[in-house]
Amino acid sequence: MNWLQQNGWQAAALVLMALGICALMPRARTRSRTLGLLLAFAGTAIALWLLPTPAGLIAHSVLFWLFAASAILCGVLMITSRNPVYAALWFALVTLATCGLFLLQQAAFLAAATIIVYAGAIIVTFLFVIMLAQQAGATAYDQHSHHVVLASVGAFVLFGALLATLRSDAWPAARPPEEAAVIEPALAQNGLSRTHGADGKMQSLGRSLFGDYLYAVELAGTVLLVASIGAIAIAPRRSQGTL
Amino acid sequence: MSGEYEGYLAVGGALFILGALGFLTRRNLILMMLSAELMLHGVSLTFVTFGRLHNTLEGQAFTIFILTIAACEAGLALALILALYQKVRSLDIQVWSELREPDLPSPKSTNERADPPAPEDVRHFPRLTPAGRAPEMHEGAPQPPVNGRVDGVPQEIGVR
Repeated sequence: MNWLQQNGWQAAALVLMALGICALMPRARTRSRTLGLLLAFAGTAIALWLLPTPAGLIAHSVLFWLFAASAILCGVLMITSRNPVYAALWFALVTLATCGLFLLQQAAFLAAATIIVYAGAIIVTFLFVIMLAQQAGATAYDQHSHHVVLASVGAFVLFGALLATLRSDAWPAARPPEEAAVIEPALAQNGLSRTHGADGKMQSLGRSLFGDYLYAVELAGTVLLVASIGAIAIAPRRSQGTL
Repeated sequence: MSGEYEGYLAVGGALFILGALGFLTRRNLILMMLSAELMLHGVSLTFVTFGRLHNTLEGQAFTIFILTIAACEAGLALALILALYQKVRSLDIQVWSELREPDLPSPKSTNERADPPAPEDVRHFPRLTPAGRAPEMHEGAPQPPVNGRVDGVPQEIGVR
């Protein structure tokens, strides 16, 4: 009973979200889209209301609630949409909301790079593939989904465990900015690495990338090259038949 | 934990959970790949939040590497999906639940599922002839002479 008083609202929020997703998932019989949306929205609202309010400006808090709610709801709509084109567009909205959360954490370059790479490249590639591969419109395999209840229970038990861990008191306090100089870069000590803190500037991020992570950046470029060669090699040619 | 970072971590966890749920339940190959990208978003958000919690830039640097790998993964996966679609004209994941070649017989056919028959002529190979003195295997046996002496004291060497 004590546990229920402490965690009852949290559990209710998670159950509401899981029920909403179960109701929204496409399946053979008719789904009640309005009920599912209401349940998912109510669960998200309760779960966000239970989180402690971030200290600071009220505009910061409002932007956080806006971006967080739109990220979670667009994610729910993405994984439950019947049409893959709509799923890709909802995923673009999730990307935009995540980039808003990046901006709120003084990661401006990361937000811009994520928008350019995801919304500009990955979503467009997905849409091209959908248009190439699924020209017939709605298909049978988009109207059914596998093991909805079992997967929802497993996923939301995991989410509840994550939230319970977040609410526990075993967390270190946030490091004040003046202690930032003490932290040494943990990886790839080379001649170009130097100590710096997260001051929100693009210059320090560039110094970290091309100083501490110089070898990793070179490796990532090699991985990109190999992946592009592999994609060209794997993709079907026109001589093998038209798509 | 102060409330400044908890919300971001919770949203990152929610995005990961939603991506895992979509990956487990949906049957469209493209939707499964999109769900994997959603999971990567959740992990990226968590990385950035922890980097800000510890006031380092490692979270943002890791997120840039996640972006790189996500781009590679999307390109390779979509090329694979196109190649698979060209074979069966369907994006259903259920079609690919069996990985065997289509011209081979199914491994679930009755003659393969039954137990293999016992071999009829089992050839008995000759065993090695015993060489040297057989060791004593139990305590009560009379001890062999060691170094030409028999003194009745149980010898430990070479007994077991």
